[in-house]
Amino acid sequence: MNVRKLMLLALAVTVVGSLGLGAQAIKAGFIYVGPIGDYGWTHAHDVARRIVDEKYDWLSTVYVESVPEGEVETYIDQLVRQGCNVIFTTSFGFIDGTYAAAQRYPNVIFAHASGFKRAPNMATYMADFYQVYYLNGLMAGALTKTGKIGYVAAFPIPELKRHISAFTIGVREVNPTAEVHVRWIYEWYNPAAAKEATEALIAEGCDVFAFTEDSPTVIQVAAERGFTSFAHYSPMYVFAPDYVVSGQLVHWEVIYDDFLVKVHNGTYTTKNLAHVDYWWLMAQNAASMGAEMGMPVNPKYVAPLKAFTVNHPQFGRISVYDLVFLRYNQFADPGITFDPFEGPIYDRKGNLVVPKGMWMSYDHLITMEWAARGVVGPWPGEP
Amino acid sequence: MDWTSWLVGTVSRALAFGVPLLWGTLGEIYAERSGIVNLGVEGMMILGAYAGFAVAQTYGHPGWGLLAAAAVGMVAALWHAFLTVTLRANQYVSGLALTLFGLGLAGLLGRGWEGRPLRAPLGSLAVPVLGDLPVLGPMLFRDQTVLTYLGIVAALVLWIVLFRTRWGIVVRSVGESPATADAVGIHVGLVRYLCVAVGGLLAGVGGGYLSVAYRPSWTEGMTAGMGWIVIALTIFASWNPLRAIWGAFFFGALYHLSFRLQAYVSPELLKMMPYAFAILVLAVSGFGGARRRGGAPGALGLPYVRGER
Repeated sequence: MNVRKLMLLALAVTVVGSLGLGAQAIKAGFIYVGPIGDYGWTHAHDVARRIVDEKYDWLSTVYVESVPEGEVETYIDQLVRQGCNVIFTTSFGFIDGTYAAAQRYPNVIFAHASGFKRAPNMATYMADFYQVYYLNGLMAGALTKTGKIGYVAAFPIPELKRHISAFTIGVREVNPTAEVHVRWIYEWYNPAAAKEATEALIAEGCDVFAFTEDSPTVIQVAAERGFTSFAHYSPMYVFAPDYVVSGQLVHWEVIYDDFLVKVHNGTYTTKNLAHVDYWWLMAQNAASMGAEMGMPVNPKYVAPLKAFTVNHPQFGRISVYDLVFLRYNQFADPGITFDPFEGPIYDRKGNLVVPKGMWMSYDHLITMEWAARGVVGPWPGEP
Repeated sequence: MDWTSWLVGTVSRALAFGVPLLWGTLGEIYAERSGIVNLGVEGMMILGAYAGFAVAQTYGHPGWGLLAAAAVGMVAALWHAFLTVTLRANQYVSGLALTLFGLGLAGLLGRGWEGRPLRAPLGSLAVPVLGDLPVLGPMLFRDQTVLTYLGIVAALVLWIVLFRTRWGIVVRSVGESPATADAVGIHVGLVRYLCVAVGGLLAGVGGGYLSVAYRPSWTEGMTAGMGWIVIALTIFASWNPLRAIWGAFFFGALYHLSFRLQAYVSPELLKMMPYAFAILVLAVSGFGGARRRGGAPGALGLPYVRGER
């Protein structure tokens, strides 16, 4: 066989191969902002990637990690060259790079997590926690003895402000005088900063802790001093089985599963994504309550939560444990009948931000800057 | 909330946070005193952190973890010494490479180790008698691990060796003028190898402290830039082990206060306070530099080739 024949054969194999696969197969590329070993945000996305990758024969996946936000386009180029026809970018800061790449590659499907820019070939998706934070706030309000709850937060952006305010509204529903003291670390991932921020809150007299950053640091530091805490993002029960009460858990796989199946069966194309926005909450099982899969509340804390009763304006005398699960079921019901941000809500400066009987709109939720009553501490960007 | 709470909190947190910085800085001082800049501190620390965690987790004792951290830090440093002393490669490039390599390798090996607490962490020492003192007890003797005290002892010993012994003269002369040292029969390469290795050992302990004591668990990238603070502190300390003590702990105090003071001062401003301070000190020491290059060893960063210059 001479060289020319060999080349022709290779060409033929390539053409046939790509025809056979091209109609069906999806190669999905994932671009992560952090390392997959962070045990937080990026770790959770990667766990979800592996779940869907194993589930479907027609799907193969690749990922790149620790991508600086300004360089996302270069990495998208690389994934497109590797043959990816669906690309997920999983950080808010990837928004403009992803949008620009979506213009340059009209035949590739893009989906951007936590953003708001869409195009015919670019969708957005988010699994949000504000309902779960509210539920954890109810429990935190019942468990604090000093009336001060510490909250270690990454960045003062609407997402965190929404979570802290929802948490605080929960706290105040069962403990009207309790305060939520906030410290910002200005980093998604920095264990040392999270540790010193927790120590600062302990020094202020806080005795129950919650957080939004990407490591189990707050739990470990609190447990060392015998204080209870709430986990965030990944299953963190194991870090302090005696002190972790509950927490927020994410299930990105339900979104990836739904999205990729719809791409595979042709529902989603490169022409019709301009209005596809996943805003999935507890009802879709994208977010759930607990510090460990299948354990909504640490059994150690069931008795104290049952013993703490409040006189609730809606339900009368009720234990916090029952209240939590009553709300839990309301959130899990697809026809949700309750929202933590149900008016009337006043911000901590006394302005009416949600009128009586109203719920917050999606636009208001994703842009909110105000702080709920009971939040103590700095609040950069407060209106 | 009175002033004692502020004093106790700030000092005890300054010590706990300053420990890895102190160990790292002591190591870098020795490397640089012999004339070798090692920008690989971050890489050596993260390798130490990973090794410390993995070994302590496997064998169930923090002591083994710290020994492993020290050994791994030393091995990593020897690689830098081989490149810069034997092969006379550019020290800055080799150091940066070591940092990138360390972060990458630790991340790779660490897969699957994250998400589990260390079963045998190094706990705080409750120093008998002293720990019961009012104010001083909680400030200095209750919330510290043995590495805080060992770090201070190490700084004293390293200072004595550097400035009060013949060995110290040898190290310093190699860093100031390797040709002169060579002329009087000192093996320049050997001294530099030893100093860089000691530097790696100490940086490894600093990294091990992070994963075995400070926050007993492993996560990728958990050193989060501490290696770079060490480089700045080395200059801040004027390559003097005793000044490294207060440099590291002062930085620790500022770092802790940047969170404590958030209730009163803008958090953005506080966030940059420790770093702004570092820049300020560098600028001041530059202006006030009665001694050349702020007291840096004369041959710092320069490879030594016998017969040249």
